Amino acid sequence: MDFLGYKRENGKFGVRNYVLVMSSVACANGVVDAIGRALPDVVPITHGYGCGYGPADMGVSHRALAGIINNPNVGAVLVVGLGCEVLKADYLTQVAEGKPAEALVIQESGGSAAATAKGIEIASRFQKQLRTQKRVPVPVSELTIGLECGGSDALSGVTANPAVGAAADRFVREGGTVILSETTEMIGTAHILKRRCATPELGEQIENLVNNHERHVRASLGDLAGMVIAPGNIEGGLSSITEKSLGCIMKGGTTPITEILEYAGRPSKRGFVIMDTPGYDIDSMAGEAAAGCQIILFTTGRGSTAGFPGVPVIKISSNSRTFKNMPGDMDVNAGAIADGDKTLEEVGHEIFELSITVANGARTCAELNRSVPFNYLKQGPTF
Amino acid sequence: MKSNALRINAKDNVVIATTPITKGEQVIVKGAADQSLVAAENVEAGHKIALAQIPTGGKVFRYGEPILEATRVIARGEWVHVHNAQPIPGDLKE
Repeated sequence: MDFLGYKRENGKFGVRNYVLVMSSVACANGVVDAIGRALPDVVPITHGYGCGYGPADMGVSHRALAGIINNPNVGAVLVVGLGCEVLKADYLTQVAEGKPAEALVIQESGGSAAATAKGIEIASRFQKQLRTQKRVPVPVSELTIGLECGGSDALSGVTANPAVGAAADRFVREGGTVILSETTEMIGTAHILKRRCATPELGEQIENLVNNHERHVRASLGDLAGMVIAPGNIEGGLSSITEKSLGCIMKGGTTPITEILEYAGRPSKRGFVIMDTPGYDIDSMAGEAAAGCQIILFTTGRGSTAGFPGVPVIKISSNSRTFKNMPGDMDVNAGAIADGDKTLEEVGHEIFELSITVANGARTCAELNRSVPFNYLKQGPTF
Repeated sequence: MKSNALRINAKDNVVIATTPITKGEQVIVKGAADQSLVAAENVEAGHKIALAQIPTGGKVFRYGEPILEATRVIARGEWVHVHNAQPIPGDLKE
């Protein structure tokens, strides 16, 4: 099966063809926002750091931002820096793989207004270049799909997550890749994930990852760790943390785990891949986008509105009430399973088919709403 | 007939109520009523009902995986939750 995508020089394929305008440091956010207002079709990404942090956070932010620049949905990139920051604009443009990339430094460009004018000129030129590119047929095996959940409810683990798991199995059967993240949501299932790994080495790796994360949560939160390491929703029917976490990892489907990635790492294997990310959905999606996910499947029960810049996010409601209450935010109603109107397999098929339609260019609710929050993992102190 | 419960995996010995089920009501999985499976008590949506008797210490399977062990005998049709089952020791590191 094929979708229609944009061929990139590094051998990847995009489902969108955006000009990304990114700040390297928070001080450049004003210029990035101004360029975004002038050119509504570019994807602006601003963030709170790029300076004032230690080497570990510097490494993670560089990997995340560089990964997002190399996301196949990005056709060209303009990085705006201030000049005196730690994470300089050209540290990011240097790692762009075979796509037009320019760095713009505000302190060397005559200040904000002049940099904005120059940025608009560069981004407009990139847009003109990208308009000449045409979509070509690409096998579905070239898709990397991120799996996410947020604002879950008692039905998430019954309807939406298993249905996404069915879609994930289909992508893997087609030769594609799915990335399950949110290590926090795996606590209590280390022994199960271990059994599902393709090799004993990966099994050890996942067991250590989940157990270390459990220790990290206990050490960081102390007496409050029970808020994270708990069934979460006893009133909703979840009786143990293993039961809760199993509901989350259902999104990954049933195929063997082929690789375990660090935060914002890039997969070298196809199939069912796991990434170490926090449970915070915005940070987690940034890790998946940096890994090269062209589409994210996002389950929700309470009704999350969060998409992601440059990456179509498909919202799957676990229940019909939320689907009806938030009609412009939800793309798929897995509540039909609870209503007895559809089977898990049918909704899984619907999610797979919609993903292909979205890959071909159809816009998701979050894209239409321009609901595209951005953040990435930061763990150390600020200096 | 409209189903009111879902069995997620063929290995599971519980079904999940998809709507509130009242005491004495038939539990209908995937549109096929199993005449003998009747809810022994009121069960809220999202909660578990035993498909078969589970002995004390017996494992509760959901998603095809053991998620709990029974702290007393749980009868077929009974609600399964923290009052009659507990987490399996060793599932958590600490």
